[in-house]
Amino acid sequence: MKKSIFLTIIILTISLLSGCSRANEITSANSAEVISDNKSSGSITIGFSQVGAESDWRNINTESMKKSLSADNGYSLIYDDGQQKQQNQIIAIRTFIQKEVDYIVLAPVIEDGWNTVLAEAKDAGIPVILVDRKVNVEDNELFTCWVGSDFELEGRKVCEWLNEYCKANAIDAENINIVNIKGTEGASAELGRSRSLHKAVNKYGWNLLDEASGDFTQAKGREVMAGFLRKHKDINVVYCENDNEAFGAIDAIEAAGKKAGNDIMHGEIMILAFDGSTEQAINEIRNGRISCIGECNPLHGPRVEKIISNLEKGIIPDKYEYVDEDIFSADTSVKTITLDDISYNIVTP
Amino acid sequence: MNTKNLFDKLKKSQLLLPVIAMLLVMAVNIIHDAFTGAGAFSFFTITLQNTTGNGTILYGRIIDILNRGSEAALLALGMTLVVSASAGTDISVGSVMSLCASFCCMLLAGYGVSSTNELAVPLILGVLAGMLMGCACGAFNGFLVARLNIQPMVATLILYSAARAIGLLLCNDLIVYVRNNSFGFFGSFLGPIPTPIIITAVCVALLSIILKKTALGLYIQSVGINSKASRIAGLNSKMIIHLAYIVCGLFAGIAGIVASSRITSADSNNIGLYLEMDAILAVALGGNSLGGGKFSLAGSIIGAYTIQAITTTLYALGVSTNQAPVFKAIIVIIIVAIQAPPVKAFIKKKSLSKSSKGVA
Amino acid sequence: MNIKKLNLNSHTLLLLITIVLFIILYGLGCILYSNKGFTHLQTFLNILITNAGLICITCGMTCVMLTAGIDISVGGLVAMDCMLIAVGLNKGIPAPLMVILVIVIGILFGLMQGFFVGYLNIQPFIVSMAGMFFTRGMTAVISTDQVSITEQSSPLYYAWANYKIKLPFGGYINNKGVYNAPYIRINVIIALIVLIAIFFMLRHTRFGRNLYAVGGNEQSAAMMGLNIKNVKLKAYTLSSFLCSIGGICFSLNTMSGSVQQALGLEMDAISSAVIGGTLLTGGVGNVIGSFFGVLINGTISSIVKTNGKLASSWPNILTAALLFLFIVIQSIFAAIRNKKMH
Repeated sequence: MKKSIFLTIIILTISLLSGCSRANEITSANSAEVISDNKSSGSITIGFSQVGAESDWRNINTESMKKSLSADNGYSLIYDDGQQKQQNQIIAIRTFIQKEVDYIVLAPVIEDGWNTVLAEAKDAGIPVILVDRKVNVEDNELFTCWVGSDFELEGRKVCEWLNEYCKANAIDAENINIVNIKGTEGASAELGRSRSLHKAVNKYGWNLLDEASGDFTQAKGREVMAGFLRKHKDINVVYCENDNEAFGAIDAIEAAGKKAGNDIMHGEIMILAFDGSTEQAINEIRNGRISCIGECNPLHGPRVEKIISNLEKGIIPDKYEYVDEDIFSADTSVKTITLDDISYNIVTP
Repeated sequence: MNTKNLFDKLKKSQLLLPVIAMLLVMAVNIIHDAFTGAGAFSFFTITLQNTTGNGTILYGRIIDILNRGSEAALLALGMTLVVSASAGTDISVGSVMSLCASFCCMLLAGYGVSSTNELAVPLILGVLAGMLMGCACGAFNGFLVARLNIQPMVATLILYSAARAIGLLLCNDLIVYVRNNSFGFFGSFLGPIPTPIIITAVCVALLSIILKKTALGLYIQSVGINSKASRIAGLNSKMIIHLAYIVCGLFAGIAGIVASSRITSADSNNIGLYLEMDAILAVALGGNSLGGGKFSLAGSIIGAYTIQAITTTLYALGVSTNQAPVFKAIIVIIIVAIQAPPVKAFIKKKSLSKSSKGVA
Repeated sequence: MNIKKLNLNSHTLLLLITIVLFIILYGLGCILYSNKGFTHLQTFLNILITNAGLICITCGMTCVMLTAGIDISVGGLVAMDCMLIAVGLNKGIPAPLMVILVIVIGILFGLMQGFFVGYLNIQPFIVSMAGMFFTRGMTAVISTDQVSITEQSSPLYYAWANYKIKLPFGGYINNKGVYNAPYIRINVIIALIVLIAIFFMLRHTRFGRNLYAVGGNEQSAAMMGLNIKNVKLKAYTLSSFLCSIGGICFSLNTMSGSVQQALGLEMDAISSAVIGGTLLTGGVGNVIGSFFGVLINGTISSIVKTNGKLASSWPNILTAALLFLFIVIQSIFAAIRNKKMH
């Protein structure tokens, strides 16, 4: 008995000590930070609340923001990772307000539930710039502007590509059997891309066999696709709402002994995807396992930086700013697609 | 007479519950397949398929369930020992899985690298480090439970909340991708058979041999039944409980490596999420008492695959990923309610009064 | 006599450690980040606003833990409540009715859990794990979408959520020249009322003393003629009831329902209660400690966020380290007590 008490006391001391040393670390890290704060006292402080690190796209997006809003460019960036929880992001925004940042940049995890906290930011007179996903708020004055992709347009481009591909290869619309691996339900990208697909399915008469959420992750994408393959025997097109889901879908298709490719009338399964921001995705386009990717440009940093420097000069930005995006495919039967009288060239990587 | 004997034997056996559950799931599948016109026995068909990526592989629902259920089966192995020895559950295994996966991928990719095609250190080093991390986590849990006499659920709560966070920290808050075929091997195929199935089979075989040969299994049971009496009988019960936790951590580490190899990345936020619940459920479904003592590894393994079969079946029936937990909850409650002492006593009374009536 | 005295001492000591720890942490934040607005009153109030739901839930958790039990279904129940409120309000059900409905569902759910734990004698962890699966799954059954509460769906509920109770002191003028008056929201008032009510219930009612008795020593409580089954049933019902109130506080803060909401909230509640000095073996603890436990968690997260350079996983790790510390201290006290008894 005595021995065990003795032991626990030792552990306690060690853990206390390690606690102290950890506290010391925090202190030293902070003193360094205070110095850098003083040094750049003329700099613009920006609080950036990011969704998390759920995909490659997100990692590149974060890097882009950090690079553009660096100390070298005259900014002091406070970065917060929300770990895909809205609650964390709400706390982060309240902390930004308390720290009196000059601007708040928010990449919301979902579209809903931001009224209260954005109103608090407005009351404190801090402009809010939204990136990537939008928010549903009654009062559009709660945010200054939004920078991101036109998700619906991305979806329309990919659907139009499929339509053109069918035309070029004389495939009947009735023979197109699509399954949709949706993104995180309620996210702007999911809503926009799903909406485009639904419209195209109605317009061209394709069969939409099934839909389920793959949460934008590879693991979930694989699981959902495996379920689809078991349930439906005649799938020939998979609409994946990001690259990572597409990687998962490819795994599931190959594990089921099928082949991912363009030849949909002869047992191959065509994969359509979005993002196209990584080397791996481009490689999959080159080797033909992904047929078409609607690019979703993650490089928001420069655009946000421009808006902030304009705001500093008193120039009011457009409410919605879209970034330019391409469409990728290695297939040569479709060269261009036309939407709303604008033609888009298909980029072959 | 003979069949009645067999039935009686089965009724007493621990395996009754998992076997019945497994048969039920199969029945549901057969009926569903027959009605949808897929062929009544398509559940059991296994075929050879040619693929571009992996050569000739085995394909079929059973193979898929065995493959997907590997992580839960591995965790259930360790969990069975922990439950038996300490009469408590280790709720940290899912988080520990994530930590081990992160640690392994972080070593393979190099710190701060978020995506790589080249390995920074030899594969074997990363895998061993991942398994060692699992052992270390298990040793920490075991220390708290065995040496400091802390309730298992409470002791493992610490790593439950910390391990995943430490994993994220190791990965610099990013998902680390190790896109290298040699690392992907643990989650793909060895010849025509999925590697996770082979890994699980090897682990099961090794563990059962060790438990049989060294009488460790017997020790664990006796410690679980009465740790004081075992100590008086000359067993180092603290040592045995500690060992059970280390083994549990080791299996969590292996499961973590398999899970991250499947997606060739360490997705700290999602690897092993809720898997501790599946593992505990597998142990309970396997007919093991959560109050410790007697255990059956076979039961737990059948339990783990049954849960996977239930999950796959629910998906096939069109239940979404997020709704599936409702059914799991109902299954858990039914299983534990059947095992609950008041219910058992009630059933016994009923059957007794019935038989006495029969005599009269 | 001797044992009782030691008991009392160790309890007060645990509570004291918690309160001192909170003061040290908060003071540390004020010293380090005085230039980042940590000293503003609003920083503290924000911790209260964000954690109002957690305070209610931790009060319930404390009561269950007093009986040596645990309830890990709270996160799921909160998600289900938020989803119910969001869907119900959008269907046009009046807000007061919706609030009552959610509370009734919470009580029924608690009765179920209490029945399984108390009357069927099943381990609380397993029962509430099933409860967690059930409520999370039911949330998805109600709706898999993200449902938001807007002014159109219920003007009354919207007004509740956006109502600021401004305090007449402690304001400051920020660098934009705007005067920021400190404020709290309705959910903070609800949480404080719950806290005070449970504090008095534990102190001055028979039920409160029964909770301690069951957790302290179940056998002797049974010999004293206590209906242990009934006490446990009531404890779990109370926990789910308070959790539903917490769910409403949570909903007022996020104004939406989604499957992913309140993920891992059960662990926040348990760790807050443990850090607040509630013994996991039962019989010891009070809600004032739990309240400070919540505040410590909130302060850690606030400090890490204010720093802005630390990785976002630090709050989890620091909380777990504290949890470790407190669990070890508890086990030492338990060892000393055992020794005195023998």
